[in-house]
Amino acid sequence: MALSFKPIRPLLQTGTNKSSRLFSYAGLGIGVLLLLCAIQMYINIQSLLREGSIRKNGFDYISITKNVTAETQGQEEKNLFRQTDIDELKKQPFIDGVEPLLANDFHVKLSAGAMIPFRTDMFLEALDNSYIDTVPPSFAWQPGQRSVPIILSSDFLEIYNVFAPGQGLPQISRETATSLAVNIHCEGREKEEIFVGRIAAFSDRINSVLVPKSFLDWANQEFGKGREVSATRLFIKTKDANNPDFLRFLDGKDYKLNKDKTILGRNKMVIDGIFSGLGIFGLLVVILALMLFSFYLQLVIARSRDSLQLLLTIGYSPAWLSRNFSKRFIPVYITIVLTALLVTQLAQWAFHHFVMFDRPELSSFIHWGVWLVGVALIILSIVTNYRLVRKLLYRLY
Amino acid sequence: MMQLTIRDLLPVYFEEERKKRSEIWGKEIVFQRGELTKIIAPSGSGKTSLMHFLYGIRREYTGDILYDQQSLRTIDPETLSGFRSSQVSIVFQDMRLLPEQTVMENLEIKRQLNPYHNEDKVRQMAERLGVGSKLASLGRTCSYGEQQRIAIIRSLMQPFDFLLLDEPFSHLDNRNAEKAMELMLEEAAVRGASIIFADLERIDFFPFTRLFYL
Repeated sequence: MALSFKPIRPLLQTGTNKSSRLFSYAGLGIGVLLLLCAIQMYINIQSLLREGSIRKNGFDYISITKNVTAETQGQEEKNLFRQTDIDELKKQPFIDGVEPLLANDFHVKLSAGAMIPFRTDMFLEALDNSYIDTVPPSFAWQPGQRSVPIILSSDFLEIYNVFAPGQGLPQISRETATSLAVNIHCEGREKEEIFVGRIAAFSDRINSVLVPKSFLDWANQEFGKGREVSATRLFIKTKDANNPDFLRFLDGKDYKLNKDKTILGRNKMVIDGIFSGLGIFGLLVVILALMLFSFYLQLVIARSRDSLQLLLTIGYSPAWLSRNFSKRFIPVYITIVLTALLVTQLAQWAFHHFVMFDRPELSSFIHWGVWLVGVALIILSIVTNYRLVRKLLYRLY
Repeated sequence: MMQLTIRDLLPVYFEEERKKRSEIWGKEIVFQRGELTKIIAPSGSGKTSLMHFLYGIRREYTGDILYDQQSLRTIDPETLSGFRSSQVSIVFQDMRLLPEQTVMENLEIKRQLNPYHNEDKVRQMAERLGVGSKLASLGRTCSYGEQQRIAIIRSLMQPFDFLLLDEPFSHLDNRNAEKAMELMLEEAAVRGASIIFADLERIDFFPFTRLFYL
């Protein structure tokens, strides 16, 4: 005959404090719901911002220039970054890397060929690949190669599309732009050479026309005036572009920061903060509810003290009693957490459908991580309960 | 469990003097399986304390109690509950039934721990001790005499090597006490077990093999 808890159950006096039990159940439910919703929203925000994120490998990348003022205008040496400036920046603890944007030292013109009668003076820049957000494999150049891959700022295409109709030029999409070839005229040292430029990618981060560094190094040597090329812009790699120390340092140096590129990062931080706060609040409510529930358990055990003590006296094992006593509440916990998961699922569906209009970056279903947290909460409740009951019963022994 | 040993035992609330007058306190005694021990103890001599110490529900004593070679103080609650469900049983002077359960439920709660008898045998025992008609009554509605007989039957629901009796007949007349003793002697004999029986005075129908004055 297996040892049964059935005859023991009536000995536990649980009935008369129903309201305190229901309160703790409701509290637990609300806490779990808040926590799960906060986690799901946090995940939603991450997915939404991943697309437009300027972060790469956990770093912010921002460009700085020297402030050109009435006093410094026309004085190149004051408006360009020298090696000593770069070295000083590298030494700062909040900066993880500095890379100059190498500019052309010769005359560059761009023409769109016969299809589009468009011709303009242009500039080219080069930057270390690790600082560029989108580097396609085709972004490379070797001497002798006629075609030059270009990474163009998305903003430039937008500007072109704004003025194109007024100039009688056709507006073009990203896809068309990447299939178009443009002629790059390089002039200097009484030579001119034409290369075929193809847009390999668009960059949201860098407001420039980027070519492979190998190309620009070669071209500067070939057509350049032979002087040392100082950088007008620097790219900085930092863990947090909103670090006050970092911003204060830049202000002190009178360096100009390309701020709009960090706005998204700032917003993201604020939203992250709000949902982290909500999550912590949810966690606190869960802890509070578990505490309330533990008081309820202590009350039940105190009320049933005589019976439990007698059971232990006649040979019932405290571990067996605790296990079976705690087991009674497992269905309750599972029901509470499942209900919270269900409501979170409903909320996520409504959020995706009615607020986000089924945007593809999001899912109508809750993230597996949320399920995992739900399961973890069930286990946490069961374990804390069991340990509490066992402790109380051992005290009766 | 083959033997139960007491070594220099004395309740902490007794003065050392007691050791001189008593045949139990302060002595080393080994109770062997199969023996029938009678302990005669006047009121206030610590009879109930001794039984509670031996059963392990109270620890206010100096000296030591050994279950085989293991000190009772070092046995953890899980192991001790194992001893209580299979090797040591007890009849308390204050009966200790669950008041809101029926007599049958009281017996079943004990029996299911480590069943030695089947349900029919339980009914037979109840009939034999004159409480057969009480099986469906609540524990609290039974008279002290009935409760005492039920507590005796409860102690026989499990296997045991030692049966501890703490004034088990205080509410019973001689005839009922004799019937209950007879049943316990039979049950102990079947198990080859020992009975340690503490009471106020000598009782004719307990054929003890050892006698101590507390």
